Amino acid sequence: MSAAHAETAAPDPALLAEETRRYHHFITLALWLAIITGIEIVAIFVPVSAGVILASLAALSVVKFFAVVLWFMHLIYDHKLLFWLFMMGLVLATATFTALVMLFSFDRVDTAWFA
Amino acid sequence: MSAHAAAAPTSTGIDHKKLIMWLFLASDCMFFGTLISTHLLYRKLYPTGFTDAEGHQQFIQKLFDIELTSFSTFILLMSSFLMALAVSAMHKGQIASFRRNVLGVIFFGLIFLGCQVYEFTHFYQKGLTIQNSVFGSTFYVLTGTHGTHVAIGVLWLVLLYFYSFTGRLGGHQGALDVEVAGLYWHFVDIVWIIIFTVVYLVEYLGPNGIWGAALPLA
Repeated sequence: MSAAHAETAAPDPALLAEETRRYHHFITLALWLAIITGIEIVAIFVPVSAGVILASLAALSVVKFFAVVLWFMHLIYDHKLLFWLFMMGLVLATATFTALVMLFSFDRVDTAWFA
Repeated sequence: MSAHAAAAPTSTGIDHKKLIMWLFLASDCMFFGTLISTHLLYRKLYPTGFTDAEGHQQFIQKLFDIELTSFSTFILLMSSFLMALAVSAMHKGQIASFRRNVLGVIFFGLIFLGCQVYEFTHFYQKGLTIQNSVFGSTFYVLTGTHGTHVAIGVLWLVLLYFYSFTGRLGGHQGALDVEVAGLYWHFVDIVWIIIFTVVYLVEYLGPNGIWGAALPLA
């Protein structure tokens, strides 16, 4: 297949319509991602308790994370198996993180937990 | 139908390349999960920053440049947007549009890497090395591993860009190859979303930081 042929190959009209719809989603999402990043940067200088800001930053990060995963990475349009495969890795990573944080947050975790 | 357009049937109904890439990304999640966990745990256990070559105590909050990091984050998010457009263009068979968008992604990726090189150089000059503190070790390993992922992504996209001129990057398989590269690039972006929050932004919370050390803001 030549480069010229690849350029002019007519795609399926239904696929074209779907890709055009996604194109608008991508633009909207990019704007929201930029806005959320701006909010995060402003939020760290707002004089409220660190706990509130930390919770807000975590929530905004999760929103950005899943927005990219679902729309830019097409998981919302793709086979469900791919979503669960990725979630498996994500859950294991989060569980590892949680376990480590708990392990280092307690003195003598071995006796405190199982006493 | 050309050989490019013919897609081999699979037992799952998902193309093998895409399936393998998602499995790899799931495993990479665990890899970055351990690196981020290690950084945060040692940040909590050793909250006082680091000591430079002259023996002066240095504070992390004063070391970071939030404007530069925010700019890097914005650049990476926008590169992800362009990558999504590049994948979309390939699905529509618009190879010229694919080339324009992928060049944008490469350009933004190089800007991000440039910012990281500048940041590392700046930190090194301020006395933060990979050996002189626990913070230095975990910070350089985590952000350096992420930077390596970005560099690999840039190289992959450069190869795809030049490959598109051979005329062999077309049809279903061509779009799939670009989509798989796009998945990798978006993953690099989502990892940075987490790093930006848990490594950089949290350092600025409250007048004394959240790590329990007295960090002068002046």
